[in-house]
Parts: sequence; structure tokens; C-alpha cells
Amino acid sequence: MNTTVSMVAVALVSIVTVVIAVNGLRLSRTTGDFYVASRTVRPWWNASAIGGEYLSAASFLGIAGLIVVSGQDGLWFPIGYTAGYLMLLLFVAAPLRRSRAYTLPDFAQIRFGSRGLRRLTSFLVIVICWLYIVPQLHGAALTLGISTGLPGWMGAVLVMGIVCMTVLAGGMRSITFVQAFQFWLKLAALAIPAVFLLLHLDMQGQSATLGGAIFDDEAQTTTAKGLYYNISLLVALLFGTMGLPHVLVRFYTNPDGPSARKTTAIVLCLLSIFYLFPTVLGILGRAYTPELATSGNADATVLLLPGRIVGGTVGDALTAIIIGGAFAAFLSTSSGLVVSLAGAISQDLFQGTVRGFRIATVIATVVPLLLALGTSTFALAGAIGSVFAFTASTICPLLLLGIWWRGLTVVGAVAGLLTGAVSCGIALFVSAVIPSATGSLHDLVSQPAAWTVPLAFLVMIGVSLATADRVPARVDAVLARLHVPEQSPDSKP
Amino acid sequence: MSGAAADPPEPAGPPSIPASLDAGDAALPPPAAHRVRVSAPAGSMLNIPRRLEPDAADAFYVRSLIRSQLRLSMSVALGFLLLLVGLAVIGSTWPQIHEIRLATIPLPWWLLGVAVYPMILLSAFLFNRAAARNEAKYRSIVE
Repeated sequence: MNTTVSMVAVALVSIVTVVIAVNGLRLSRTTGDFYVASRTVRPWWNASAIGGEYLSAASFLGIAGLIVVSGQDGLWFPIGYTAGYLMLLLFVAAPLRRSRAYTLPDFAQIRFGSRGLRRLTSFLVIVICWLYIVPQLHGAALTLGISTGLPGWMGAVLVMGIVCMTVLAGGMRSITFVQAFQFWLKLAALAIPAVFLLLHLDMQGQSATLGGAIFDDEAQTTTAKGLYYNISLLVALLFGTMGLPHVLVRFYTNPDGPSARKTTAIVLCLLSIFYLFPTVLGILGRAYTPELATSGNADATVLLLPGRIVGGTVGDALTAIIIGGAFAAFLSTSSGLVVSLAGAISQDLFQGTVRGFRIATVIATVVPLLLALGTSTFALAGAIGSVFAFTASTICPLLLLGIWWRGLTVVGAVAGLLTGAVSCGIALFVSAVIPSATGSLHDLVSQPAAWTVPLAFLVMIGVSLATADRVPARVDAVLARLHVPEQSPDSKP
Repeated sequence: MSGAAADPPEPAGPPSIPASLDAGDAALPPPAAHRVRVSAPAGSMLNIPRRLEPDAADAFYVRSLIRSQLRLSMSVALGFLLLLVGLAVIGSTWPQIHEIRLATIPLPWWLLGVAVYPMILLSAFLFNRAAARNEAKYRSIVE
């Protein structure tokens, strides 16, 4: 692999990201701009930005790696990532936009008017963001290490440095443009190599699937997961997406409820198109880089395939494209997370001033960087799956019941949040401490969503019913604001 | 706005300007003439203005809107979830399905890797239309 070309690709993506961010600064004038892009963002832009933000290292590198390692079971991840947005559309998109909450803690305050619950939600948001950034940085370290031979920690530092700069420079407005740009970059960076490799194999008269042989020997490389594992994973991904803080921030930039729905539907289109390509590359990986399945480096599949199949200058060029896309993935997801993390920290610690936002940005980048440098790499898709399980057990019940059930009380919400956070946290901790044990018992702790999510819901509902006399007095006014369509019917049929 | 207070000798001129401004831009916040300390859009917007007299009929319509929207969301979600669980169960209880191949790729791969996505998009499309229809119905009743 040609390291110079790879370095040029990384440098190019970094420079373009910074340039767009700095140009966004000139457009960004008021605080409204700074935080929410003044809601001037159109659905297509906004949807591209959401896609750009959402498609992280786990999607870009992790899914192909997962398909190489666990075969057909790997296909559940992209389904879950996409269908999670369907759930978000069904239950959260329009009401959340109408609530006029900018962040999850804002929502907690609007719905319940409780400072304590707001603080608990902020704390959970901060934990979730940090947990989510760390795998991105591991991905950056892996990519830089494999493609250029530089020490991996430089990748993590580079990503966090650029994110810190872009967020400080432009806030949300420029982030929207950066994210939208990065979605299309990521799509192209997987689509071009995937199509090229398929055409190349076709011209050489080779079969992309080795004549279907790679599906015969599933038992050879596949560590087949049970039914419980798949269903639990699906629960985590379906219900975890709606709790992702960096995704929810985006809904504030829609002008009204219907446009929030429209944006989400466009996101679903974009994701459906995108996920075809990691799947294709994963199948190619099973055929042409099968040894990665057992090497523990399966996440590198996408990076190594072009060199393996084509080689030479063309292979180098394709690899450089993929590396550029990978860095776009790390940059966009991390900057989205840093924006919402800094938003949460600055609103609660610095009264939401722009200066406070900037201080919070620095805090938001330094802590996960230290965490990433102090821990070792996991499988990317698995690490992200754990974060989804955590958000599904905490934020998801709060949002769903808060939006749709008038009987939810502050005590019930707090009890449910704590139950979900503690049970899911302990399960994930146990599975990290005892890593290699296989079997149904281990699945229960390594993929806990199937029992922690219902548990959190039950506790939240049960405690709320027990404290039914303490339903917030203005609940009807709040629910009306969440669900009643906007005054001016601007979307005429 | 400061002109009215600063120039008392000329009572005729200055007051007319703010008056016309107020009339024209009644809906807009007053223009800021000096540096303003900007802060997050949280603050005042988080406080919901109290309704003066909660109208019983209005509250009823809002509740039935919420109920119909929830019923819609739940049925789309349940339908889609049943589909996914069905796929998972078929895959694990009927291993022979892997022998059915299209272009050397087993049928479950096609179903999970490709066919699921159009179904997600169809669900989203139908939901958006039905949700907008519910809201239009509510608006036609209330307005």
C-alpha cells in the first residue's frame, strides 16, 4: 500500500473540512445561527447532514468487517441502524421538533419542569456521547495505523484536533454544511470502490462470491449467534437510535413538524442506499480477505480489499478514496457528538453563552481523547452496539413515554432512567470483564437490550402509576404543544 | 428607541419614528442598536405560557389527535417488527432456505441485505401521509 497517497487523502479531507467550517463562520452571525443554523436548513441539506453525522466508523468500516466475521448475522446491523430511524420517525420526529427542545435535557425540562430530571438527563447524555466518541477514535487509530504505518494515537489526536477547531470556528451552521458534504463523500468513498471492484472481477471472469462457495462454508469462519442475540441486538438498534443526542439536536433545525418528518424520510432513503455498499464489500471480503475473520482485524476489510483484488496504482487510488471516506466518517460523527456534548455541558454549566459553548467544546474533546488513548480497540460495530443498548434502556423510554403518555411522573422517569442505566451498565461491564465466555448466559450480559429495555419501561410505568397524584399540572398544555400541528398550514396538500 | 428619551426639546419629530416602527414590526422583536450578549435559545422558550381558560372541547380534540397518531405509529411499528422477527425466525428455524440461491447468493442474504430497505421506505412513506392526514383532520375540526 502506498503510504504517501493515503496521507494525501487524509490531509485532503481534513483541509476541506476545515475550509468549509471557516467559510460557515462568515455566515454564522447570531446565536441562533451558532446553535441551530437559524432553522434555515432545508430538508435535503438537513437529511444529508443527519446521514453524515450518523454514519460513523461502525457503519463505514464495522459492517463489512462484521459480515466477514459473522456472515449473515452481520446483516442485522445495517437493518437496525436504518430501522432505528423508522422508529424515530414514527414516535419522535415531529413531536420532538414541536417541543422546541434543542437538546434532550431541554426536552426533560419542557416536559416535566424539573431541574433534577434535567440534570440526570444531561449526565446520561454526556456519558452516551463519550462512549460513542471513543470507538470513532479507535477507528481513526486503526485506519491511520494500517494505511500509513504511523502510530495509531496520531489518528485519534488528528480527528479530535480538527473536530475541536471546526466546532469552535462555526458552531452548528458550518457543521451542517460539513456533515452534508461528508455524507456524500462517505457514500462515494464506498460506492466507487465497490462498483469498480465488482466490474474488475467481472472483466477478469472471476466470481465476486467465488461461485457461491463463501456461503457454503459459513460454519468455517462464522461464530453463529443465537436467535436471542439477534433479537436483542435489533431491540438495541431500533430503540437506541431515537436516544442518540447528536441525532436529536438535528431536529431543531427543521422549521416545523411536517418538515421534521420529511427530513427523516429522506434520511431513510439515504441510509438505505448507503448500506448496500458495506454489504457488497463485506461479501467481497468473505471471498478475498477471509483470513481477516480470525485475525481480530476484520474492521480493516474495507481498507485492504482494493489492494488485494486490484493492486498496483489503481488499488492505491481506491484505497486512498476509502481512507478519505473513513476519515470523513470519524470527523463527522465526532463533531456531531462534540456539538451536542458541548451543548449539554455549556447549557448546564455556563448558562449557554457562546463563550461557555467554546470552553465546553474543549472539555468535550479532551476527555474522550484521553479515554480512547487509554483503552484498546474493540470490534467497532460491537462497541457501538453497546452504546445503542444503553440509550435504548435510558433515553428511549423517557422520550416515548414522555411524548405519548400523560401519566408519566418525574419520580417514575427518574426511577426508570436509573434502572435502565444501572442494569444495562452493569451488564455491559460484566461482559467486558469476562470477555471470551460464549453461550446464552454471556449473550444476556453482552447484548442486554432485550431485557433492560422492557425493564426500564416497566419501572417507569409502574412508579408513575404509583405516584399518579404527582402528574405535572401543565401536562396537557405540553402534550398539546407536542402534537398539535403548526398554526399556518404551510404544507398544503 | 433611545431617541425619544434623549431628545426632549423636539417633541414632534422623534416620537413619530418609533411609533411607525412599532406599528410596522409589531410581531418582530425590537432591533438591537447596541452589542447584545447572546445566549442559547433555551431560557424563555422553555416556559410554556399558561392557557387562560382550558377549553374542554379543545382538550378533547387534542387528546383524540394524540390517540389517533399513537395508534397509527404503533400499527406501523408493530407491522414492521413482526416482519423483522419473522425473518429472524425463518432464518434460524428453516435452514434449507439457504439452499435457495439467486446469482449464487442465498435467499436470506437478499432478503436481509436488500429487500428489507424498500419495505422500510414504504412504511415511512405511508406513515408520513397518514400522519399528515390525521393533522389535517384535526385542523379542519378546530379551525
